[in-house]
Amino acid sequence: MSAPEERKVKSLAELGGAIQPPHDLWPRIEAQLAGVRTAATPATRTPLARWRWLAAAAMVASIAVGVWIGRDLLPLPGGPATGSPVAGNQAPPAGAAAVNAAYISDPRYVRERDQLMRSVQERLQAMPPQTRAKVAASLAVIETAKKDLESALGKNPSNALLQELLINTYQDEMRVLTDVHEAGNAGTGI
Amino acid sequence: MQAEVQSGPVEWEGALVQRAAAGDTRAFERLYREHAGRVYGLCLRMTRDPQLAQDCTQDTFINAWKALPQFQTRSSLGTWLHRIAVNVSLGKRRRSSAVAEAPPQDEEGDIAGEWVLETPVEVRELETAIEGLPEGARDALVLHALYGYSHEEAAQMLGIAAGTCKAQLHRARRLLRERLQMEVN
Repeated sequence: MSAPEERKVKSLAELGGAIQPPHDLWPRIEAQLAGVRTAATPATRTPLARWRWLAAAAMVASIAVGVWIGRDLLPLPGGPATGSPVAGNQAPPAGAAAVNAAYISDPRYVRERDQLMRSVQERLQAMPPQTRAKVAASLAVIETAKKDLESALGKNPSNALLQELLINTYQDEMRVLTDVHEAGNAGTGI
Repeated sequence: MQAEVQSGPVEWEGALVQRAAAGDTRAFERLYREHAGRVYGLCLRMTRDPQLAQDCTQDTFINAWKALPQFQTRSSLGTWLHRIAVNVSLGKRRRSSAVAEAPPQDEEGDIAGEWVLETPVEVRELETAIEGLPEGARDALVLHALYGYSHEEAAQMLGIAAGTCKAQLHRARRLLRERLQMEVN
């Protein structure tokens, strides 16, 4: 190692910390940066963040369906008040509000959900293709969120946050199904 | 007024850090240009090998780029980079030499002070004397006397006990006195 100057110093502090590299290292560093950050990004996203994101996506999907149905299918204000209000502006339907951790695995809930799902599928056939696509996309988002959360809970059954996120996601699904079901009733005459 | 003068560069650096954390490589290049000399100087003095020091400097900035989104802008970027550089240099040095250094014996006396030499010495002569110190003593000396870290901070960066770091500084001072044949206070 050689010092850059032949000057004399009276204390160690005068040496200073800086020594310039013999050549510019930046091009070598820059060449490696792009791959590093993009490769690191998925690894740095924690499972917790992913689960929260999934639950949020499910919620957005359910609200989107509610808004869509409220805007396009339900009778206008002043008409027969048979339909459900817009989901984004209301409390969850009574069936959804009753959902809890035990309930979502209860055979009665599973049976009722299956019946509702079949009914919704029938009603969807009578709806415009655009609406059908919107509902199908939202249900797919919710289904992905449910599967991922259930898989995570399988590995960590006592995780309270995961349980809560899963229940919320089931509620979101129920909200979509109920909205579509009620829109079908309201839209009979459309 | 003084606060404004002091906060100016820090705010400027903080803005660059935020841009770099968001993926702006031009901002990160400016941070590199600002800090490369002190990071390379630290790596060179720790490894005593210019090629290895370049590798360490490169790895330091790549590691910093990876971890930048987690960096707290209220901390000093320079100190943070020096911590990374110390870790990288220790790691590379450990891989290149398997022989562990014996811990120093406790020595009495105060290690606080400016490390003033009895008579002026050429930079080259002083750098050679530092270069010839045993690794542990040299690491502690460089961080404390050249970079201005307290012996507690230097100990934390080096992953050793504060008492060990203090003993290394005593040892460094004694050896420098012997090699330069003068008082170092």
